[in-house]
Amino acid sequence: MMRRAILGAIAAVMPLLAAAQVESYTIDPIHSFLNFSVDHLGFTTIYGRFDKSSGKATLDRSGKKGSVDIAVESASITTGDNDKGSRPRSRDEHLRSADFFNSAEFPRMAFKSTAFRFSGESLSEIEGQVTLLGVTKPLTLKVERWKCGPHPFSKKEMCGGTANGRIKRSEFGMKYGVPAIGDEVNLMMGFEAYRD
Amino acid sequence: MKQTVIGLTLAILPLTCVAAPESYTFDPYHTFVHFGVDHNDFSTIWGRFEKCSGKFSIDLQAKTGTLEVIVETGSVTTGDSVRGNRPRSRDEHLRSADFFNAVEFPRMRYKAGSVKFNGDAPAELRGDLTLLGVTRPVTLMLDRWKCAPHAVTKRWICGGNAVGTLKRTDFGMKWGVPATGDEVKILVTFEAFRD
Repeated sequence: MMRRAILGAIAAVMPLLAAAQVESYTIDPIHSFLNFSVDHLGFTTIYGRFDKSSGKATLDRSGKKGSVDIAVESASITTGDNDKGSRPRSRDEHLRSADFFNSAEFPRMAFKSTAFRFSGESLSEIEGQVTLLGVTKPLTLKVERWKCGPHPFSKKEMCGGTANGRIKRSEFGMKYGVPAIGDEVNLMMGFEAYRD
Repeated sequence: MKQTVIGLTLAILPLTCVAAPESYTFDPYHTFVHFGVDHNDFSTIWGRFEKCSGKFSIDLQAKTGTLEVIVETGSVTTGDSVRGNRPRSRDEHLRSADFFNAVEFPRMRYKAGSVKFNGDAPAELRGDLTLLGVTRPVTLMLDRWKCAPHAVTKRWICGGNAVGTLKRTDFGMKWGVPATGDEVKILVTFEAFRD
């Protein structure tokens, strides 16, 4: 009788324990990059990449909740034009200047989630806020790929995927060259994160 | 007599239009070859070749064209260029004999001899890619295309984006397959000035 009551109590508590199992993750900076693209004069699309970012995430799989906090170093921007040659500056230098990312004054951009949304077992959307040039605006990222499991070689538990979003840079005060250089900026983040 | 001259001029005009291929040179600051590859089935790693050069010629009336692009393999970057305390960075690894073998094969070459048009715009490039000394057909689809004077310099330019896929093992690049994907997505973004 007593034994059955204990088993019953354990069975009743188990889902609660499972629900409260929050895992924490650290973004792998070598396999996590924020890429962006922007229209150039209506002719082509310029792609760029921030080479340095860092972050942490939490994931409660059974509760379908989580959080992520990412910092991106604005001066780590590269677009393939970093050699000024005989010009006054390269495009990458221009992008780091006050005309664009003003990385001396604003060395970091940030994304902080406010909610994770799941589709079945998979993370499908991350609602959050992005801070750029000191201005904070809401941003929803669509998660296009998502997978958690052991790394094929190291066997360490990890989650990875890709997330896409879109901002208007003028809303953050980055107005240089609009509209010849597009106002709308597509963001594509490929990420991998190891469980702590 | 005057009527004959006008008649002759009218008869010749379409021929001069037809025989008007224009040649263009890619602007290296606004022309990049990007690629995307699956990584361990978890995420997608994107990379870029920072140095390429090339020319194309296009005849918009006859709807023909040819193109040649040379990409410097040693200019590959993926955002991991500092090795720190590792034996090598990913970019160094990509330049090694495991991948692009940039010492032995410093250049990739894409040569297209045929262009399919969709209406007035080129839509599909049929060409051959030479990578690691191996030549295989690669088709690129144009998903943007526009010709107009440059907004600032007023020089006539054409620009666009072209996408395609290839299997790197077809060129003998087998390292890490399938954990590091065999299928490689190609995205070329370009602007070219009329010569």
